Amino acid sequence: MPSDAAEADAKIQILKDALYDEARQHGSADRLFTQKDLLDLNVIPSNDVVLLLRVVQSLTDDKLFVGATNHAGLAWRWRSREDAQKYTSLPNDETMMVYSIVDEAGADGVWNRHIKHRLGMHEAVVKSCIKYLETKGYIVAMKNVEHPHKKMYIRANLRPSDRATGGPWFTDGELDSPFITELETIVFEYIKNHSAYLGSLPIRGGGGATGADGALKAPRKGIIRGGAAANGDARGLKRAATEISNDEQPAAATGAPAAASSEAAEAKNSSSAASRAARGKVFLPFPAGYKSYPIVTEIAQFIHKTGITNNTTLGEADIQQLVDVLVYDGLVEAVKVGGRKGYRVMRAAKQDTASFEKRQKEREEGIGLDKPHTGVALPTNGVTEAPCGRCPVFEICEEGGPVSPSKCVYFMQWLGLEDRGGPAGGAPAMVSL
Amino acid sequence: MLVTKHLAELCSLLIEELYGELPSRIFATLINRGRSSIPQLVHHTSMNPRQLRHGLAVLLQYNMLFYSAEPDTEVAVYEANVEYAYNLIRTGKILEMIDTSFGAPAKDVMQSLLLLGQARISDLVEAYQQKIDQAKKAATEKVEDGDEFEVNGVNGHSDSVKKSDLLVKNTAQLNSVICRLVEADLIDVVHSRSFQTPQDIHKSVEKDVTERLFPGGPKGGKAKVELQDKIAESLRKIRSESKSLKRKLEQNVTSAKRRKLFSGGTSNGAHDEEVDPDLDSRQVIRINYEKCLVDLRNRRLVQFATDMYGEVTAYVYGVLLRLLTKPIARCRPDPLMDIGEDDKDRQKLGFVTIDEILDSLKTSVDLSLGLGKVAKHDISSRAADAIQEEPPKPKLYIEEADVDEGDSADEAKDSDGSNSSGSDSESDHKERPATNGSKVQFADSTSAKEMRLNRPAQLRQHLLLLSESNQHFVRHCGPNEWTVDFVPLMSALREFELDSVIERTSGRQGLRLVRILRTKGKLDEKALPTVALMKKPEVQQKMLEMQNAGFVHVQEVPRDTKADVKKSFFLWFSDVDKSLARLLDTSYKTTVRCIQVLEVLRQREKDVLELTKRTDVRGREKDVMRKEYFDRYSRFLENERKLFAQVMRLDDLVAVLRDF
Repeated sequence: MPSDAAEADAKIQILKDALYDEARQHGSADRLFTQKDLLDLNVIPSNDVVLLLRVVQSLTDDKLFVGATNHAGLAWRWRSREDAQKYTSLPNDETMMVYSIVDEAGADGVWNRHIKHRLGMHEAVVKSCIKYLETKGYIVAMKNVEHPHKKMYIRANLRPSDRATGGPWFTDGELDSPFITELETIVFEYIKNHSAYLGSLPIRGGGGATGADGALKAPRKGIIRGGAAANGDARGLKRAATEISNDEQPAAATGAPAAASSEAAEAKNSSSAASRAARGKVFLPFPAGYKSYPIVTEIAQFIHKTGITNNTTLGEADIQQLVDVLVYDGLVEAVKVGGRKGYRVMRAAKQDTASFEKRQKEREEGIGLDKPHTGVALPTNGVTEAPCGRCPVFEICEEGGPVSPSKCVYFMQWLGLEDRGGPAGGAPAMVSL
Repeated sequence: MLVTKHLAELCSLLIEELYGELPSRIFATLINRGRSSIPQLVHHTSMNPRQLRHGLAVLLQYNMLFYSAEPDTEVAVYEANVEYAYNLIRTGKILEMIDTSFGAPAKDVMQSLLLLGQARISDLVEAYQQKIDQAKKAATEKVEDGDEFEVNGVNGHSDSVKKSDLLVKNTAQLNSVICRLVEADLIDVVHSRSFQTPQDIHKSVEKDVTERLFPGGPKGGKAKVELQDKIAESLRKIRSESKSLKRKLEQNVTSAKRRKLFSGGTSNGAHDEEVDPDLDSRQVIRINYEKCLVDLRNRRLVQFATDMYGEVTAYVYGVLLRLLTKPIARCRPDPLMDIGEDDKDRQKLGFVTIDEILDSLKTSVDLSLGLGKVAKHDISSRAADAIQEEPPKPKLYIEEADVDEGDSADEAKDSDGSNSSGSDSESDHKERPATNGSKVQFADSTSAKEMRLNRPAQLRQHLLLLSESNQHFVRHCGPNEWTVDFVPLMSALREFELDSVIERTSGRQGLRLVRILRTKGKLDEKALPTVALMKKPEVQQKMLEMQNAGFVHVQEVPRDTKADVKKSFFLWFSDVDKSLARLLDTSYKTTVRCIQVLEVLRQREKDVLELTKRTDVRGREKDVMRKEYFDRYSRFLENERKLFAQVMRLDDLVAVLRDF
């Protein structure tokens, strides 16, 4: 009899190995095998359900099979021998149970209170189990961005899922705002430079105009030569390079659009000397129906090529998210031309024409820190210009109240009167903020 | 118009600023108490009837009152006309607009008219006649004095004499100016019902129509609709009474024009004075703010277009708007009157063609400027030329995505066809300068290729750009037909103004959150940080801040019937209309503060200002006053200018939010 039992055990051992190996051949560790699936593997002779039961039971005891339920009822999936080894090496059932819960949670991790709750064990027991597993290096603590204050655990050899880490925008469980801001600026610069035409300020070029006029009447070859010549000496790419150096006077560059804004038509016809003084670069909108406004794919490729994000991989969806934020910020807008959803910069003519690098250098030197990091601010209007629009105590401002127009220091500052002696000096201090 | 506390305060401050305290106090009482008779006013203002009658007369002269006399009681009741009172703030702006579009004489006439409030034409003519006579007298004196001055080499004084030179030289010119202003609909005729409140008119018309056509009241839905139509028709008839002068002029002017055409008249742009008919001198005229607002709106839109696309495009847009809005009488159609399809007075916007715009464009404007240059093959002409026959519909939050998808699918099909075959073959200027293969050619404004586009084509490019905008500046409503849908455009502009305020007060991140809510509708607090790419605590803080400012609103949705606060959902949303209403009131309040601060400054510089009122000081402040005093005075004047300029800026915003 004992030999029978030994023989049976050996037989089961063989079947176990065979079934385990066969199951591993038939799918990943995530696949669930139902009873029928296991029988169909043709390992168990004559489809003996009882025998199968014993074999599976034995495998489950060895932690090589994990029981689960799916829609069809009970099912199993296999577990690698190394992982199973970890289970079997654990000292007691409690630790094993804790480990199994952490294991099941997978890449999302599990909250320690959850473990306690599910196992119904005493807190001290759970704690000691976790401590044991941690020292063994089986599980590690992790942070979940959605619940930053919860103590979570995850299997040591797993990387936390995107849901837990928050995706590429998070670094160590914290939203990486500087990274996002910087990347936003880059994306914005890319869209700006690809969705608006960098031209010179509206001036009437004397020589160029007549030359082109002449070329108009000339035969076709002449046009091309004339155009090329014009590009070469006066208005080509080379010219653009010299104009970039002109941009070194930011006052001229920023002042010019304002000067030209009032009397556009007149300014263009004013003497060439005056217009040359206002000469600078300006972004012009592309004509309607422009087909090459940058789309998200192009932007993603650009980001990928520049390699700015060397240790994070940004998918197209991530870039889309970034562009969406720019749209919400009112900096760019979506344009659909022929089913192609491109993006173009808003208020092109008002945008800063200086290069990104230059502005960045300036910011490092502390110039222009009051300007928005990305793009230009919207124009002001009556409310925001007046002190009231930005007044923190506007709501309680009332004649006869603690804050009133007759005592308003903000208005006096705004009118440049606060340094005066006399009644202004006697005005009470503003409500402390 | 909804009269808030701050608007009421503002109106009485404006009246005080211009017409003194007495009318202002009466006006404030009228706003606060509603329509009142003189005995009631005596009770509330504790003024005596004589003072009250004085004040009411002033207010009435400046069109700031409605009144109605009950026929049976013979007691007149008065009501404040807030609209006219508020419009006082726009006086300067309107004059400036008239100056630029009709010239200085027209401005002068309008200024006199505004100073008078309302005037009989004969009185106006008489006043000008007097002025002219005086000027003539002065001129003859000046000729005598002139030599003397030249000898002495003092020309400071002669300058001031020159300034007082009259802009309107004779009564014929005055007549012509008035004719032109009436034709432009900027001047109205005052008629018997001008001083009845719209509500009164509506009530009396309703009563009249019901009695006449539906004795015993309207029965059934159809009759009710018919009644509404009839009422609207009668109301329109009453409204058009104020246009009687204009109609008369139109009949005359067309014949005058015809005459000019036949004789091949040398029209040099100046209005031919002989052909203007004499106006009925008994008519009483006053300014028509409604039409002025239409013109002011055009200016604001040009400014908006400048901000979005640049000056040249905006200039084209301005011309388009001017042509398009000529027949429009008011910015917003009256919900009571402007109903019914058969009405020819209705705000049926026509369209403008490129040729019409071209005829009105200054020849000095170079249309090749202001647009980027792109190779032809980079332009999908099918997409650019797409014609939208219907005005854009207001977007619904949820449906938006679906609708867009549908559109894009269509577009995709369309453009695929055109891209491959159509657009390139039809190009009339295929040859491009032989620059390198870059998509964008960095050729300057007058490159050979650009010159080949003729002026109409360049103009068309600007219009196409405007019609492509997400703000709906222009709608390409038919082949070579262009129109503007003001309703969506103005709401885009309003949103733009609101965004600007949000960005300045709550920062760009605040603006981001609001715009997210605007596109997505209602969002749970937890969903916001992910979309906005912001930190959770930051979002929460910003949202609370903006809730206080009235930019976002929150709705609590309990999870179950117990309505446990801890378990409830908190949905954020942004109600643009609510925010705009709040912003409007903030604007009123800010305007009030500006004027009040000015008053504070006046009090502070009281001694100096009293000095300047002395007759021996006035006009020669710099010479007579001590330097210290004069410095204070000039600083005060500067601040006064600043504050008034700010008030104007605020009015710009109010106009966008409320009137346009």
